[in-house]
Parts: sequence; C-alpha cells; structure tokens
Amino acid sequence: MKAEGPASGPAVQLERIDDQTWRIARDASRGMRVEGLVFASDRLMSTLRGDPALQQVANVATLPGIVHASLAMPDVHWGYGFPIGGVAAMRVDGGVISPGGIGFDINCGVRLLRTDLSAADIAPLKARLADTLFRSVPSGVGASTGRRLSSRDLDEVLADGAAWAVRAGHGWSEDLARTEEGGALAGADPGEVSKRARERGSNQLGTLGSGNHFLEVQAVDRIDDAAAAAAFGLEEGQAVVMVHCGSRGLGHQVCTDHLTVMDRATAAAGIELPDRQLACAPLGTPDAAAYLGAMAAAANFAWANRQMIADAIRRAFADVFQRPAEQLGMHQVYDLSHNIAKFEQHLVDGQPADVCVHRKGATRAFPPGHPDVPEAYRAVGQPVLVPGDMGRCSYIATGAPGSMLRSFGSSCHGAGRNLSRHAATRELRGVDIAAQLRALGIEIRAERRDLLAEEASLAYKDVEEVVAVSRDAGLIRPVARLRPLVVVKG
Amino acid sequence: MEHDPSVGTDRARPRSDTPARGHRLLAHTADAGLEAWAPDAGALFEEAALALSDISADIEPGTAATAREAVAIEAPDAEGLVFAWLNELIGLIDVRGAAITGAGVALARLEDRPLVRATVRLAPFDGRRVRRRSDIKSATYHRLAVRRVRDGWSLVAYLDI
Repeated sequence: MKAEGPASGPAVQLERIDDQTWRIARDASRGMRVEGLVFASDRLMSTLRGDPALQQVANVATLPGIVHASLAMPDVHWGYGFPIGGVAAMRVDGGVISPGGIGFDINCGVRLLRTDLSAADIAPLKARLADTLFRSVPSGVGASTGRRLSSRDLDEVLADGAAWAVRAGHGWSEDLARTEEGGALAGADPGEVSKRARERGSNQLGTLGSGNHFLEVQAVDRIDDAAAAAAFGLEEGQAVVMVHCGSRGLGHQVCTDHLTVMDRATAAAGIELPDRQLACAPLGTPDAAAYLGAMAAAANFAWANRQMIADAIRRAFADVFQRPAEQLGMHQVYDLSHNIAKFEQHLVDGQPADVCVHRKGATRAFPPGHPDVPEAYRAVGQPVLVPGDMGRCSYIATGAPGSMLRSFGSSCHGAGRNLSRHAATRELRGVDIAAQLRALGIEIRAERRDLLAEEASLAYKDVEEVVAVSRDAGLIRPVARLRPLVVVKG
Repeated sequence: MEHDPSVGTDRARPRSDTPARGHRLLAHTADAGLEAWAPDAGALFEEAALALSDISADIEPGTAATAREAVAIEAPDAEGLVFAWLNELIGLIDVRGAAITGAGVALARLEDRPLVRATVRLAPFDGRRVRRRSDIKSATYHRLAVRRVRDGWSLVAYLDI
C-alpha cells in the first residue's frame, strides 16, 4: 500500500506561557471564541510545529459555548475535526455537543487488572500464556466471537454496560465499583442505535479489534508513589494486565449515523464551522439528545466489551497457572474511557458551572477527594492509565489537583502517534519487529505480523516525555511504570 | 511528519501526468486518506471504492467477487454523498465479512440532488487470497472535498482507522 504524505497547513502562531504550556491566541485563527492551550515540552513541540493538530486546536475554539480554552494534552496529534488529545468544555446553557469531540470509537478506553504473580512467575510460561491469551480474546481486523447477541441481550448491553456482562457470569461485581461511571453511563437510549450499528456490533462483544488496540501482560518495573501504588494493590516486580479497546463497529456506526444528523443540525442552527467534521447540535435540542442517548449506549457496549475481555483474560490465566483467578489475585485496578463526553461541574471564571466536557483521546484525571473517584481510591486520586507503545513502557498515575484548575480534570491518554502508518512501515522496511521485541524479552502474538511495523515504537512519541509533561503541568502524579512482557495485537 | 506540497496546495486536483481515472492513498498521522479522479461521477465513485479496498484489504490479483450488493444513496450535497458512499462500503465490509473488489455504478450525480446507484462486488475474507488489512471505523468530513477538474471530477476523503 503506497500513500502520499499528509498536508500541512500554515503554521499556527504559538506563544509560550511556561515550561509546559503554550498559547494559541484568540486572534490566531478566524472565529475563535476562546484561546487554545497546548501542554508540551520543547521536545514535544519540536514535532508538533506545522502539524495540522495545532490548527485543529484553534478550530475547536470556534464551537459555540466553549469555555476557558480549547485544550491539547501532551500526546496531541492530528485527528479529524478535533485533534486526538483534545479537551473542550461547553456550557450546558448555550453550548453544543460535537460527536467529532468524542470520536468514532466511542468509549475507547483502558482497563488494568492486577495479579499476585511476579514477572519471574510469568517468565517460564510466557509463550504458553501468550498463545492462550491470543486464542481466548478474539483480535484482529473484523474480529468476531462467532456468535451473535440476540436483539434483547443487545438492548440490555446498551442499557446496562459492564453490569450486563457481570450478571451473565463474565466478571466480578467488585469490577463495577472500579470502573468509570460504574461501567454504565446514565441516559443510554438503545432506540437511537441504528439497525446497521447493531449488525456491526452484535457479534463483536468480547473482541479486541485491530490498529492500536492491544492486550499486554506487563511488569511493574518502578514505583513512583508508594502510597498510591499500595492503594491500587501494586508493587515492584508484579505482573499486571492492560487492555486497550473500545465499542467496535457498533460505536463507529453510531458516530457515523449521528454525524450525518449533526451535519444538518449545524446548518439549521446557522453555525459556521471551519471543519465540517466539527458538526454539532445545541445542547437541549432533540438532535443533541438523540446523539447523547446513542453515545451513552455505545459507551456501555464498550464497557461490556472490556468486561468480557477481562473475564477471558482471567480464564486464560487460570488455565495456564492452574489456579482460579481469585487465587491469583486478579482484581481490577480500574477501567476508564478516553473518548467520551460527560456532564460535569467545573470552575469557569472562578464560578462553578455545569459543562459538557468533550474528551477525545484524553483521560479523566480527578484528584484526591473528588466524589467521583471510587471510595477505595479517594485518598490518592483517580487512577489514570497511560499506555505507551509495545516496545517501551506504560504508566499508571493518579489525577492531581492541577487538572481541575487547568484541564477540566483531564490528562493524556497515551503516547500519541508521531508517524503515520505508512511512514512507520517505510522506515522499518525489512525489520522483523517480532524478533526485535523478543530480543527485549517481549513475547508477541498478532493476527498480521507483517503489519506490526505500523504500531512499532518508532511510530509513537516517548510516553516518558508525555507523562513528565503531564506531571510537571500538575495534571497527574505518576504512580508506577509498567514494562511489557506479553503483547497481543490485532 | 511527511509533507507533500502538491497535497497542501490543491489537494483534489490530480497531477497533469496522471491518467484520466485513478486513485491514490494519502497518509495521515493516525489514519488514512484517499484521492480519486475520473472523467465522470460514476467512475469517480468506482475509483473511491477501489481506494477504500486498498486500505481495508489485501486481495490477490484475479480474485473473483462472489457476492453483489445493490446500493442506492442520496445526499444534500456532493461531499455528503461521498461521505455516505464510503460509509456504506465500510458498513458492508463489517456486516458481510467481505472485501470490496469493485463497484459498478449505474447512475451517479454530484450536482442537483446528488445520488449514486451502484452494485458493489464483494469477496469474503478467507485469510489467504482475501485478507483483512485495516479496520476502517468511518469516513470523515475532515478535509472532505469534491471538485470539478479540467478533465472531470476529483475527490479527497480521510478515513478513521
């Protein structure tokens, strides 16, 4: 597959505020209602200058009802409409909902399970564990379970999310308390999910998918915050399991369907936008309500999906280690969304205000004491899961107080891509990525080994730098660094 | 980052030395784009289908289609029609578990009540001759453009992968 390079627009003017923050002034681009703020170090900014992502930060600032600023997290990169790594809060009264600010993979997110096993326990069984996980969790492009949910079951999944899976025997009830929103976003309306979306999703529940989605067995290789690590049940040398996936074809189709509606709603409301992908509807209108109902339903599908995958992982570990998952201590640490819109209260111009926070490739990062942080973690803050790339490392952090002051309680969601798939493949032509990973002690299984270069470390920013900037900006506090042992890719 | 000046200046215009109809793929940091050009609207939609097929599947040359699907779409404008056309194809790939091998357009109009009526040709994924390549989530409106060019029509679309 050959591809031409991307278009770069004229450079957006940036003004440095401090070591981690850059401003895009309101007059930098036509129609901006607020300024843009980008969290980045010099090193991250050196790869961002000239990137269309910065123009997208400015474009988001034109949306009606946006407050404070259009924000870019340190892992920001070129998306469509919103940048990936974009955060924007709209006033409930006078603001809009924009599906492009959530993305096609509604409630794409990350789940982390802990274990009582150590990396040393994993080592002699690494290949067998990789094979078992690869068989147990369907992955790859178009992955399906081979069985279709009945229409009634699908309605229940869309309404109840992860709780449906737990009721059906796929998980532990304690998992729900350690999942954002308890694994079910309120207000889901299965009636707003189209027949095509149901067709695309009904045989995909419990599947990983492809692209940057993955399942990794990781080792805790460094503890940065002992108290928070203890609260999360983590210690150095321990094995954990991280899953990254979303709402599969169902969620993609929900966004597609409602984007078409929003396109008409934008014109009907007389809203002028610099990018049609920012199509939106005023909050409180029937079009906005229909999307929000469908978005919540798709989000719930994603939570049920990750719940089913977690169940399959526990069963795979039980099979390989010949002990029930309960005896292996496979408790869920947390599950969070990084593609979603939420109604939250934040300080705007010093006053509490109800806003709709769009997080597109951005993670909620609530600090210690916040009532929406699970009780078990309230003293240390909400777990923030930051996957890196398959050759280096990932992080678990906690939300820090600065996130409420600077980013509507948000932080980075990963390393962020640095190279297109084509560019990564071209750079790594002839390189055996699986062999390289094996030399690093990482066992990998993938449906298409020939496409691994698209997801190689080279294609991503350095997650260490992204986490450091998020920390220095006061958005998160790193808790532990996680190193991959086993990688399952689509 | 890669940069292609020809894309930045007039993205939808094929180069002067390109054949009368064709397509090429455009890189995107996270996703992928496609450009198609043709002397008439029908051929333009056929080329867009082939470009989408290049992104989503690896098909051995000579592989015959084993299924056909009739598609009829209308939209308020040309860009909206391309958005709907590509998304119809993406949905078919997912639902039918098959790759697009081509499309035959019976009627296509880009101006004055845009519409396309076509038969889409499909070959099921078998892991050997027809292999899945990328899960395309959706076509997007981002930088979506349909333009009249000297010798016909061209379009640019970006896909979320």
